[in-house]
Amino acid sequence: MIFRRVLQYLMLVMLAGFLALFLLMPLFTVIGEGCSWQLICEVFRSPVYVEGLANSFAISLVTTAMVAVISLFLALLYDRYDFAGKEYCSLLMLLPMILPPFVGALGFQQILGHYGVVNTLLVKCGIPRIDFLGGDGKFWSVCLIEALHLYPVFYLNLITSLGNIDPALSDAAANLGANRWQRFLRIKLPLLKSGFLAGSSIVMVWSFTELGTPLMFGYNRVTPVQIFNGLTELENNPLPYSLVLIMLVVSAGIYLTLRKIFGTPAGTAAVKGSMGSKAVKLAGFKRFMPSLAFLLVAFMSILPHLALLGAAFSLRWYDTILPESFTLEHFGNALSNPLVLPSIVNSLRYSLLAMLIAILCGTLTALSSSRWRLHGSGILDLLSMLPLAIPGLVIAFGFLGMTARYAWAREIFNPVDNPLWLLAIAYAVRRIPYVVRAVGSGLEQTPEELENAARNFGAGPVKTLFKITFPLIGANLLVGGLFAFSFSMLEVSDSLILAQKSIFFPITKALLELSQILGSGPASASAFGVWAMFFLALTLAAAGILMGKKIGAIFKF
Amino acid sequence: MAEVFLKNISKSFVPGKPVLRELSLKVADGELFFLLGPSGCGKSTLLRILAGLEKQDAGTISFNGVEISSLPPEKRQAAMMFQNYALWPHLTVFENIAFGLRIMGISGQKLKDEVNSALEAVQLGDCGSRKVPSLSGGQQQRVALARALAVRPAVLLLDEPLSNLDARLRDNMRSEIVRICRQRNQTAIYVTHDRQEALSMADRMAVLKDGSICQCGTPRELYNFPANRFTGTFLGDMNIIEGKISGNSLETSFGTFQLAKTSASAVAGAIRPERIRFVSAGTPGAFQATVRQGTFLGDCCEWLCEANGTILAVKECAPPDRKNGDEVFLAFDDGFLLALE
Repeated sequence: MIFRRVLQYLMLVMLAGFLALFLLMPLFTVIGEGCSWQLICEVFRSPVYVEGLANSFAISLVTTAMVAVISLFLALLYDRYDFAGKEYCSLLMLLPMILPPFVGALGFQQILGHYGVVNTLLVKCGIPRIDFLGGDGKFWSVCLIEALHLYPVFYLNLITSLGNIDPALSDAAANLGANRWQRFLRIKLPLLKSGFLAGSSIVMVWSFTELGTPLMFGYNRVTPVQIFNGLTELENNPLPYSLVLIMLVVSAGIYLTLRKIFGTPAGTAAVKGSMGSKAVKLAGFKRFMPSLAFLLVAFMSILPHLALLGAAFSLRWYDTILPESFTLEHFGNALSNPLVLPSIVNSLRYSLLAMLIAILCGTLTALSSSRWRLHGSGILDLLSMLPLAIPGLVIAFGFLGMTARYAWAREIFNPVDNPLWLLAIAYAVRRIPYVVRAVGSGLEQTPEELENAARNFGAGPVKTLFKITFPLIGANLLVGGLFAFSFSMLEVSDSLILAQKSIFFPITKALLELSQILGSGPASASAFGVWAMFFLALTLAAAGILMGKKIGAIFKF
Repeated sequence: MAEVFLKNISKSFVPGKPVLRELSLKVADGELFFLLGPSGCGKSTLLRILAGLEKQDAGTISFNGVEISSLPPEKRQAAMMFQNYALWPHLTVFENIAFGLRIMGISGQKLKDEVNSALEAVQLGDCGSRKVPSLSGGQQQRVALARALAVRPAVLLLDEPLSNLDARLRDNMRSEIVRICRQRNQTAIYVTHDRQEALSMADRMAVLKDGSICQCGTPRELYNFPANRFTGTFLGDMNIIEGKISGNSLETSFGTFQLAKTSASAVAGAIRPERIRFVSAGTPGAFQATVRQGTFLGDCCEWLCEANGTILAVKECAPPDRKNGDEVFLAFDDGFLLALE
């Protein structure tokens, strides 16, 4: 028994070592490299960088506001009413996550471009063309596309919080004379704090540090793009490190401010004897009103992806509302491009390895806190959730800094030689939280007595793990793995920064390169994006079916 | 089967708040032993310590004289029937029962025979291929028993196994468990807070309070001759009669009575309601009382009678019709008036 305990602690230490090396060390490397008073002053003296920071912050504020309005509206509809097709709404909500927003940006250009769908419509109505994607248009386009991509994360957090509110609390307020608005403002909204905190933290930090979407729109006056553009002269100009450090500090500030605003989540657990959800059953045509709202939002959010689909299949779609003729040529072109096939193989290799690492680390973390109850497992749990709060850009830059600063890191992880391990670990570290949450929720729902029973009937700890625990939490493990794999396949920050040679490009970097080729480039990139969309849709549908309603728990802090 | 010996077992989950206090106990080979006590008295913790699912802070456990205190759960041969059954939902009934047997290295036809015989023993012969969630509560309970019996454990541990069943099913299962344990000469330790269950099934039993054993003995001994007030009142209704104890007699406001047994620390007399009889005037030992309240219980009636300021509960079977305020004479059954601490 002592030996087993020692072994468990040894695994805990190894896990902590892994996270220290590949999460904390990159973080501290960025801090070390960028923490120069002179460099930071230089950032704030430069109007370009200050504008970049202001724009990034404004994007995150506007995006979060948009997301909050859309999500709260939909979540309240979902919670309050029983309507036609309600059971499909949760799956519908996952649709916008099919593609990373930067691929959606490709489709968005087709809609709002100078010769895109909307401008063609305007000309047909006798209105002169509007430059939606020029000047301020870029800012609003980035906000809109990010909002349409991120609202499911906020929505799922709100739904989880709403599900935890005992309906009796609202009934008690009604019983004391509160009307519907008073009940909403005084009871429900304050009890949704935890959902707001989790949702807004993720959305704000995510949109503040998002690199792909503004890059795709050519919106260079935002910090992430400025950092990315500074990569090429990093050896002579360490300013990007300071920018990354400032982003990290602002991200932490965002989280702390939101925590201050929303405070400690209130206890909302249902009490004994409470009733289940009391949704109002709608009748007649009203049954379809909420479904229409869901469909409308879902349609808006997949519009860029539909445009992407159109662009991928169209022979010519220029200055017309719909494509003029269809072709499969772009798919052929995309596959014949020397970047594409190797990038698929590369992404598969990186992502599979990342998935294995994330599953191993995530499962061990969840087990050590939920089952083994080791001293220090709480810290490990916290550490493994940290990547949710740290921008991908920061970790990617940290790895870059490590390979530049330490000979041993350069020896093993040199991104110029072969970034397999570097990218796999970078992807994995950022996906560990999803596995920890998925496996942790499985362990919480599985009575420990079932494992005790196996031990009691002669099974050792390893046999119990493989015969009882893993089969019982199989769906959760699978979901964690699927998320780790699919998000790794379409990861942007690490991929754009750490894959430096074209033969090692993963899908996302190949997509970016392809979209920048003049002529047929965007169409081929669209075709390539469609394949990626199909792939992620399949994964998320599988996850949705396996996890059901609990899928929201994966996106929680 | 095994003889179980627990010596000075102590356990606390929070420092300074012991759940078990230097508890010692001996369970004979083939005995059906009950641990009875209120919620939080430490009985389930003791069972889990026996199974190796919790580690005692101090003390030793031995089966047949061999110390097993430091063995992990899988090496103890102490199969447990869990309160919530802990049946594995991803396995069939057959696989649930076969689990432990496979670990013991049994396979093929012998495995099938053993599982089927365990299923037959709990009268679930045709349920082997079913998944656990498709079974009723009673059937799940039987599968849990079959799973525990199939591995022929040295000690069978039962943690409130009938608490989730309805009254009728519970009665059936009580006799089933007793029958199977007797048939196999199975040493079993059974935890419950239901005194009827303990009194009707146990060979011997121990009453626990705050992590210590209050009294240990056969059900009759404990029921008829409880050593203290807690055991007496926990096992059933008891009249506590205040008075002066001198030697073997109890002086009360309504007479002086001979005590069955006494101790130096005894402070009050006690007698169960069914050990007080309605008698006619002039019966030796009779005292006068007034009926204050009657409660009809179906097979019997419980009367509250006042004897010179002392209220006594009297249980009477096939009772005649009495009215509040009736003057009656009562007498204690010889040898059942006790002196309690």
